[in-house]
Amino acid sequence: MSTRKKKTDAEVTKSELELSRRAFIEAAGAAIVVTAAIPALDAQTAPAAPPAIVADPSVPRTTIRVTVNGTVHRVEVEDRWTLVELLRDHLGLTGTKIGCDRGECGACTVLLDDKPIYSCSNLAIWADGKSVVTVEGLARNGALDPLQQAFVEHDAAQCGFCTSGQLMSAKALLASNPHPTADEARAAMYGNLCRCANYNRYIEAVVAYAGTPARTSAGGAR
Amino acid sequence: MKQQANPQAPAAAPATGNTPSGVTPMKVIGHATPRIDAVERVTGRAKYTGDVQLPGMLYAKVLRSPHPHARIKSIDVSKAKALAGVKAVLTHENCQVVWGAGSVAGGQQYSDEVKKNTKQRRYAFNNPVRFVGEPVAAVAAVNRHVAEEALTLIAVDYEVLPFVIDQEEALKPDAPKIWPEGNLALNNRNEAAPQSQKRGDVAAAFASSAHVFEDRYSTVFVHNAQMEPRAAVAHWEGDKLTVYTPSGGIANCRHDMARDLGMPDEKVRIVCQYMGGNFGNKNQNQDADLIAASLAKEAGAPVKLELSRRDDFLGMHGRWPTTQYYKVGVDNEGTLQGIELRGYSGMGGYRKNSGAQGGVELYKCANVESTIHPVYTNKTVSGNFRGPEFPQGFFGIQSMMDDVAYKMKMDPVEFGIRNMSRMSRDTVPYTNYTLEECIHKGAASFDWKRRWKPEPGSDRGPIKRGAGFTYMVFRSGIGSSSAVVQLDAKGKYTVFVGVTDVGAGAKTTMGIIAADELGVPLSQVDVVWGDTDRCPFSVGESGSRTTIMTGWAVIEAVRGLKKQIAEKGTPTGTEILVSSATPQPRMDNRVRSAFGAHFVEAEVDTEVGHVRITKYTTVHDCGRIMNPLTATSQIQGAAIQGIGMALHENLLYDARTGHPLTPGYYFDRIPTHRDAPPIEVTFVESDDGFGPYGAKSMGESGIILSPGAIGNAIFNAIGRRMKDLPITRDKILGALA
Repeated sequence: MSTRKKKTDAEVTKSELELSRRAFIEAAGAAIVVTAAIPALDAQTAPAAPPAIVADPSVPRTTIRVTVNGTVHRVEVEDRWTLVELLRDHLGLTGTKIGCDRGECGACTVLLDDKPIYSCSNLAIWADGKSVVTVEGLARNGALDPLQQAFVEHDAAQCGFCTSGQLMSAKALLASNPHPTADEARAAMYGNLCRCANYNRYIEAVVAYAGTPARTSAGGAR
Repeated sequence: MKQQANPQAPAAAPATGNTPSGVTPMKVIGHATPRIDAVERVTGRAKYTGDVQLPGMLYAKVLRSPHPHARIKSIDVSKAKALAGVKAVLTHENCQVVWGAGSVAGGQQYSDEVKKNTKQRRYAFNNPVRFVGEPVAAVAAVNRHVAEEALTLIAVDYEVLPFVIDQEEALKPDAPKIWPEGNLALNNRNEAAPQSQKRGDVAAAFASSAHVFEDRYSTVFVHNAQMEPRAAVAHWEGDKLTVYTPSGGIANCRHDMARDLGMPDEKVRIVCQYMGGNFGNKNQNQDADLIAASLAKEAGAPVKLELSRRDDFLGMHGRWPTTQYYKVGVDNEGTLQGIELRGYSGMGGYRKNSGAQGGVELYKCANVESTIHPVYTNKTVSGNFRGPEFPQGFFGIQSMMDDVAYKMKMDPVEFGIRNMSRMSRDTVPYTNYTLEECIHKGAASFDWKRRWKPEPGSDRGPIKRGAGFTYMVFRSGIGSSSAVVQLDAKGKYTVFVGVTDVGAGAKTTMGIIAADELGVPLSQVDVVWGDTDRCPFSVGESGSRTTIMTGWAVIEAVRGLKKQIAEKGTPTGTEILVSSATPQPRMDNRVRSAFGAHFVEAEVDTEVGHVRITKYTTVHDCGRIMNPLTATSQIQGAAIQGIGMALHENLLYDARTGHPLTPGYYFDRIPTHRDAPPIEVTFVESDDGFGPYGAKSMGESGIILSPGAIGNAIFNAIGRRMKDLPITRDKILGALA
């Protein structure tokens, strides 16, 4: 994936991106060879392994065209795949996390045509013709997005598992409201759970980035 | 050998009263420092267990019991095995692996002896099954969809057995027996006996007390609910097993895996580079690790097992539910004469931990008796959840004492200061003691005198405010751990520590400690962590011990390295200097503890029962603060977790069916952004001469105090004592009706 990212859309040839079922399975086979070269023991520190999952020929499938972080993909997906499954298992974009797989926690939040959505609760085929931005798409040319930088400075990520989702919801908020108050940030991000409960830090980071005061009225039970 | 005292530390006299706080500034330690891996965490580059992809990897799913208690008469897996793409199927018939970390009695899950001796062995797959969600079979297949489909093809013939859900009901003579030995859980000597402590004579004390008060408090099962659902990737290369797993203690996890699978420790490698939250009971192996490893062996291919959120809620563990009966005697001045606690803790179908209820020891009292019954039920298994026995115990006793204070027409803060223990269990001095300072600082910053209402519920109108407070003492013992530090010719220092970073910032802390002791900037120090093949033993992330124990090992290793540099000079060319340390620090007859106090203002809408936290002030003595940035996050997050426990969370069971009703985020209602008030954090820093420059325990401190402080604030607001967690709207409206 990293070599692809460096190219502009125009430079990417169709053959690199068009994943027919056959090509996909072949690619998966090739992936096995490539990853075998990396000591398996380093799988958690090595770059994301290429997709290694074989599509099931007995399942209905559809070829979709989806732009992910600026790169156009033509990919044949099983109709039952969720968007997060496509991103994580088949495109190797594991920055998007699955916390509940049923639309309760927001860890899988990505932008679909600029709107924050739960990618666990959207089928991959619904993204046909659309544009997806994941956490991997925020940094540009190796430089962190200023919002990511604010997250770093304000210790927004404790365990980090919900952080991608928090970032994507905050990005969507800031696109429509560049100077949210703390309460507006809470309202926009409360679909993103954090069990470390590092909520103070997340809001602090967003309002610091936006240059708005951290006024509050939070703390109510539901 | 006594741990070498820190040169900057105050003279170490035993502390039986207040000792002065304050620490001398240091160069790297004590300055707000972003995590060394913060960029990985905000870019999605951090690799968690579920992100691991191995060549030829299979996907596993677990079939779980739909019954709270049932005997498996037969299992037919033939159809599942015949499904194209299925590579392995395990049940209790072909997999008899004993889950040592989960099976042993008495909460001593690291003891090999106990695993051998216990009569109540827990297997990876058990028959009978003792709770809804207990593993019955597991499948590995070429993809997750095939694995899921295969589960539907497994036919299990159950003989459904009677069940019991409540820990007090389970002790009644006619209750269904969950184990042949009965429902009072066995300890590690196979004895069915409650945990008892006794000092003085409570009966005589109550007889002579001017006032005696009795009450019952209860807390429910709340789940760790860490954001990363449990996962494991197991991979065999010959007879060597590698498991990627979210473990808070890779060394303990390795030993557990080796013991349970009958292998030498060195044939097992545990890797945990990133982990999506801990909150307790992960300093060990889990059945998911054993199931993945067993499937991988059976299938001859790597296996990834990822629990669904529901499976995680039911197959993992959370805080044990409790019922607590208190009896408290005081004299006319409000001085405690006697305290009695009879408690019941629900352990679920297996005993994974102690089931203790902490808190009685907070009070100075000559006559104390507590009897805690750890009881089997057909709920899912309870485990250590952040500050294992304290948030529930403190809620009970600090609500009880708050109530006694009001009944004695005393300010609860004054009652606390009058009655708190200034020595550990009234007998052993602390290494230092700043609890009173924490309370006074908190009261002043919170403006207690203005916010607290001598007449509870006295606000006019439907919206009423009130203030509550709690204080704490939390263990902060020293102990052994290991570290390796090396220096290469380029001037790069590398610290090898067997920690994982569960979110508290351990590896950054280890880097900070090394940099300070070396006298170099943090950027010159690399930290290698989370891999048993690369790192030495660490105690693991439980008991808030990593900074104290592994941090001290880092200091000792660095001191050894500096000695080598002094003797041999800095390395040149391909030379490397390496120093390792496994210090065995010892404590004289004193106890190390962290201290703290929380002050909460709550606003209750008495028409709808809604509670809003309008001010939350915390003061903690966690010794010297290594990194104020991450330390503050720890306290804030823990306090908000405590708000969830106080007001929302409940893994609720239907007593008629034995089924869990709320196994997931939506219905269990963990706090959201909108439930999280700003938490004000103040540290009273101290250096008692132990640990790394006086650092004490921290991670668990913040959650211990919130449920009690919130309950007390609600009482002050509405004049009704809320005795059962969680304090939901219906309970408030019921109390006001």
